[in-house]
Amino acid sequence: MTSALHLVAAAAAAGEVTTGEKAVFFILAPIALIGAIGMVAARNAVHSALWLVLTMLSLGVFYIVQAGPFIGMVQIIVYTGAIMMLFLFVLMLVGRDASDAVIETLRGQQAWAIVLGVGFAGLLGTGLARVVGSLKVVGLEQANADGNVQGIAALLFTKYVWVFEISSALLITAAVGAMILAHVDRSLRDGTAVMSQPERMRARFEPGSYPGPKPGPGVFATSTSIATPAKLPDGTPAQRSISPILPTRELTAAEVANKQTEGR
Amino acid sequence: MQTLIPLLVAIPLASAAILLLGGRLTDRWGHWLGVLAPMASFVLGLIAFFKLADLPVDARAYSTQLWNFIDSGSLHVGFGLLFDPLSAVFVLLITGVGSLIHLYAVGYMSHDEGRRRFFGYFNLFVAAMLLLVLGNNYVMLYLGWEGVGLASYLLISFWYNRNSAATAGKKAFLMNRVGDAGFAIGIFLMFATLGTTQYTEVFAGVAKLSTGTVLMMGLLLLLGACGKSGQFPLQSWLPDAMEGPTPVSALIHAATMVTAGVYLIARSNPIFSANATLQTVVVSVGALTLLIGCVIGCAKDDIKRVLAWSTVSQIGYMFLGVGLGGGAYALAIIHLLAHGFFKANMFLGAGSVMHGMNDQTDIRRFGGLRKYMPVTWLTFMMGWLAIIGIPPLSGFFTKDPIIEAAFNRPGWTGWLFGGVALLGAGLTAFYMTRLFVLTFHGPKRWTEDIEHPHESPWIMTIPLIFLAIGSVVAGFMMKTSVVTWLTPVLDPTGAEDEVHRITNVTGAILSVAITVVGAGIAYMLFRRGTALVEQPAGPVVTAARNNLYADAFNVAVFEKPGNWLTRGLVFLDYRGVDGLVNSLAAIVGGGSGRLRRLQNGFVRSYALSMLTGALLVVGAFLMVRLG
Amino acid sequence: MKDISLPHLNYAALAPMLILFGVACVGVLVDAFAPRKARYPIQLVVALVGLIAAFVAVVLRAGKVTAENAITAAGAVSVDKPALFLQGTLIVLGAVALLLIGERALERGGPFVAQAAITVGSDADQRQAARESGATEVFPLTIFSLSGMLLFVAANDLLTMFVALEVFSLPLYLLCALARRRRLISQEAALKYFLLGAYASAFFLFGLALLYGFAGGITFAKINESAQNGTGNITLLYAGLALVSIGLLFKAAAVPFHVWTPDVYQGAPTPVTSLMAACTKVAAFGGLLRVLYAGFDRVHWDYSPIIAAIAVLTMLVGSILAVTQTDIKRLLAYSSIANAGYLLVGVLGNSALGLSSVMFYLVAYGFTVIAAFAVITLVRDADGEATHLSRWAGLGRRSPFYATVFTVILLSFAGIPLTSGFTSKFAVFSAAGGGDQSWLVIVGVVSSMILAFPYLRVVVMMWLSEPGEQTPSVSLPGMLTSAALVIGVVITIFVGVAPQPLLHLTSEAANFIR
Repeated sequence: MTSALHLVAAAAAAGEVTTGEKAVFFILAPIALIGAIGMVAARNAVHSALWLVLTMLSLGVFYIVQAGPFIGMVQIIVYTGAIMMLFLFVLMLVGRDASDAVIETLRGQQAWAIVLGVGFAGLLGTGLARVVGSLKVVGLEQANADGNVQGIAALLFTKYVWVFEISSALLITAAVGAMILAHVDRSLRDGTAVMSQPERMRARFEPGSYPGPKPGPGVFATSTSIATPAKLPDGTPAQRSISPILPTRELTAAEVANKQTEGR
Repeated sequence: MQTLIPLLVAIPLASAAILLLGGRLTDRWGHWLGVLAPMASFVLGLIAFFKLADLPVDARAYSTQLWNFIDSGSLHVGFGLLFDPLSAVFVLLITGVGSLIHLYAVGYMSHDEGRRRFFGYFNLFVAAMLLLVLGNNYVMLYLGWEGVGLASYLLISFWYNRNSAATAGKKAFLMNRVGDAGFAIGIFLMFATLGTTQYTEVFAGVAKLSTGTVLMMGLLLLLGACGKSGQFPLQSWLPDAMEGPTPVSALIHAATMVTAGVYLIARSNPIFSANATLQTVVVSVGALTLLIGCVIGCAKDDIKRVLAWSTVSQIGYMFLGVGLGGGAYALAIIHLLAHGFFKANMFLGAGSVMHGMNDQTDIRRFGGLRKYMPVTWLTFMMGWLAIIGIPPLSGFFTKDPIIEAAFNRPGWTGWLFGGVALLGAGLTAFYMTRLFVLTFHGPKRWTEDIEHPHESPWIMTIPLIFLAIGSVVAGFMMKTSVVTWLTPVLDPTGAEDEVHRITNVTGAILSVAITVVGAGIAYMLFRRGTALVEQPAGPVVTAARNNLYADAFNVAVFEKPGNWLTRGLVFLDYRGVDGLVNSLAAIVGGGSGRLRRLQNGFVRSYALSMLTGALLVVGAFLMVRLG
Repeated sequence: MKDISLPHLNYAALAPMLILFGVACVGVLVDAFAPRKARYPIQLVVALVGLIAAFVAVVLRAGKVTAENAITAAGAVSVDKPALFLQGTLIVLGAVALLLIGERALERGGPFVAQAAITVGSDADQRQAARESGATEVFPLTIFSLSGMLLFVAANDLLTMFVALEVFSLPLYLLCALARRRRLISQEAALKYFLLGAYASAFFLFGLALLYGFAGGITFAKINESAQNGTGNITLLYAGLALVSIGLLFKAAAVPFHVWTPDVYQGAPTPVTSLMAACTKVAAFGGLLRVLYAGFDRVHWDYSPIIAAIAVLTMLVGSILAVTQTDIKRLLAYSSIANAGYLLVGVLGNSALGLSSVMFYLVAYGFTVIAAFAVITLVRDADGEATHLSRWAGLGRRSPFYATVFTVILLSFAGIPLTSGFTSKFAVFSAAGGGDQSWLVIVGVVSSMILAFPYLRVVVMMWLSEPGEQTPSVSLPGMLTSAALVIGVVITIFVGVAPQPLLHLTSEAANFIR
């Protein structure tokens, strides 16, 4: 790994692009692009997320090829592995809903978006294309001198330490925001006050409540239906033994009759 | 003086604050407070005036810096007041005539439930107008300028439940905005080129500026002046402003505010005198406007409108005067002062007539009112004789010299402008006589059932009498004294090369003659009254009835394109922004999936418009790079 | 491997930011552990005390700052005089806006919803609207946002600036969604602000990458140096500058990146709108000034025409669209767009005068706009705030005092002399005039004349119309709103009548340290 890195770095310092790098780029770049377009074009949110995963994986490989193994790995493990998977879980939990797919109602919106998008890309692309030929890549050697990870760590804790610390504010804000926008206090949701544990205990043993487990229905005693109540010792049906939403059912003669499972 | 000058402004301002903020608590005595404030300022103004007069001629300017308004880097603007001969006469005019009109308004507005509010706005106006004439730099002048504009806007729309009043208020506001924008840009130009707006420093620096800059600066100031004073091409708001209560027309739209443009040009005389082209433009504006005012005045049947167009045309004379430069600056100012008296007098007289005639304003429905309103008749007659320039009333002493000065302008333009001014005098005599005769003489053309003509109460006639006396004697008294008094500010030298085509005597004879002819024709035509139906008219009269199509012109040139522009933007806004709100409302009201998608779409379209912008910005930057 | 040691951190310079970050974290903890009833008073006191402490830290620092000790944290932060001035401004404006946010006398439970997650219109929603007091998380969120803004105006490299941009934007997106009334519009506004904000951030980040390619570094010093020496590829410079400025102009609400403004201003709870209108504007223009003046001073002849075109568009679109608005909050939104245009005119002054005039304008505008929104929170009926303009007709009769206050504010917006609106416009226009941008001044004056029309229409509507059945009453404000209102109006008038002290302060502060 390290030796490969040195090779790449040396090549970059010399201003050349190795054949291997070229090959990787020309295979993965179209894939990354297809992923990005697919993400926008997909009707299904899950598909969209998967397309994005494809793009991110390609980008991760690019980073590694460009002598940034740490950020490449982070891209793959954290973004693709953790964040996108979490995203997919959420999508699946919430339920994917394809009915949100867009039928364009604004006239000319898509056409203009494509024209302008292509125009913008073309403008910056041609501008940059004229530039990159003459661009000298310098400093990669020094940056990775102590190893890529160490280099990043040094930057994070010296030059960018202030920004690094400040970005924690972003994370706190995001957490607070998620709480505000997603969390509902139960008291408000149900319209009842929250009960403390003693109150809950008292309520459980109040007259009219039945603290113990309720008897099961009389299914196997006489029939195969859970609508059959169990029988109390005195032979009366126990109403508590069946769900309140089920009607009590009178047994048919066949069911009442002995099943002849014993003592023929 | 240190405290006296600021007090002049502070008293009416404080009174306005009390009246407007005091609410109903001040309903019972508020109007008297409103009358007392300008009177107190008048008394203080008199004291200051005499103190100023005691000083030697060269020292007659009292400048006081209250505090440094802006003072940083190259920015210096002070909140300073200047009391010099020019300010002094304006202060006396504003507070003197203002007090009389305030007094009159107590009676005129006695039945109006908004009287307290009215006096609040009225005092606010007086304060702003005093600030306008007392400031010692252009920013202060602009402050007062905006203040009187605001007060005027509020007062024109005072009877807001009349649709026409609201429209007139808007029109006045918009046209004044055009002028104000010019004025503001002129101040910025001054600032950019000279780095100051203080009168003394600006005037000292004018010599250093290029001709083009001076011309530009002067034209911008002139645009401001035209907006405020109802001069061509921004004249059409002024007659519509008559929708306001009559005391407002008298004070703001006849005697004081509309002459602010004249004040601005007179105050800036070193700028205007420095450029001959500029002076020609001012003179042309004045001549054109005075002719427009006269022609339209001949065709109007509404008593206040006729007076309004005559105001337009009289201010045209004043512009003619200030444009001629040299000694004519002072002539314009004395005409302004005399006009303040006789026009206020006639407006209040018209108000008195309307008061007695159940708010009728059509002169074709008056007639023979002399018997019923003797005081109003007599005082109005003084105003009439004064404006048409019958000696020895004030108009003769003030208008006549302007006409002569116009004739004496070198070159063929002298003949042109002098001719126009003389023709204007004849037309003025014609339509003012028509107004006077149709109103007070001839057979009565009103019905007893509807109108019950009666003389107004003393509180309204006393100001009329004072103003009538002013109309009679002001011209004679001011003829030489005020001209001399103003010499330190309005240097009469500098126009030595004027030719002397007309002497005082021939000029006087000529103008009196044409006046008498005009008045005589009008008397012969209208002494038997006039038909109530509109006469069939030739193209000239029709055009005049339609304000010479100025409104139509404005609609075609300014309003329509403006409307299209706004409509276009509204359309964009509707498609983009409003549509979203509408769809939101639909969602709130039970919403459907279809609309929810629509609303998503709009965020897309926002993003699209941002992308367009981004494309343009990046493209522009790269273009800069390539170019 | 070489040793890593922590760079020198000048804690005195960083203190205002550290205090606010700390206070925000304390606020989060209070929300987690304090009993529900006690949260509101604790949060309010903690937030206000924190802001005061931060302000004291700014003032203490302002006495000691020099060109040498301004830059700290390994060059990431430059707490120079403009930064300190803007930080002080942000803290004070933020405190005034926080007073509005904390107001609970106008409406039971304050202007914020208790549980934002409850479905709008459900039974539970009606229950909470009736009796639950608002979420107290708004306080730490506001403080987080303000701390991000403090860093934003002091950032000395583009990466720090980007993180600060996100730190101050994210809480704002959340705050927008928390209105107690008209919750759907509020959530809508928040989502839209978030999406478009993220979109604009992407441009910023792209530009940042290109500029790194240009200069080989992202500090303004490095970029300036490269531009000066002519090293680096110039295409990257211009493309990068274009993209970075798009991100900043979005926050500043300049046309054509203004599209979010009216909707977000209208939908957000009014106190949050006031925070955005005052503080976001200060932060956005503080950042823009630093980028353009400290980083791209060398190419100012190249960017000037483009920024000027944007300024012209912004002024005209803002003022013309304001004319047709019927909702007072939307009207103020378009007015804020037009004001962004005036500020851009000042930015183009490109001198110490330009810098000081823009800072002056930001202070003056900030206080006035907060006062304006404070009045809007007061005018209400049974359904909450009555923002439709027709409802304001005749307000002068109903409550002359507040109508007078609002009139003063509107006159200030219209730039009538003796109010802060006049002095501040005067300052930026003369700065631009000095910077040879006279034609911009002309457009500016014309646009402010157009803009005066809708303002004065409101004035006339308030004073010259009869109050109808529809005219809402003006609620008696609580202590907090009164304080905010008084501060806003007093400063509006004070800066209008005696702008000297503030002008002095801004021209003292007008020097960026890279």
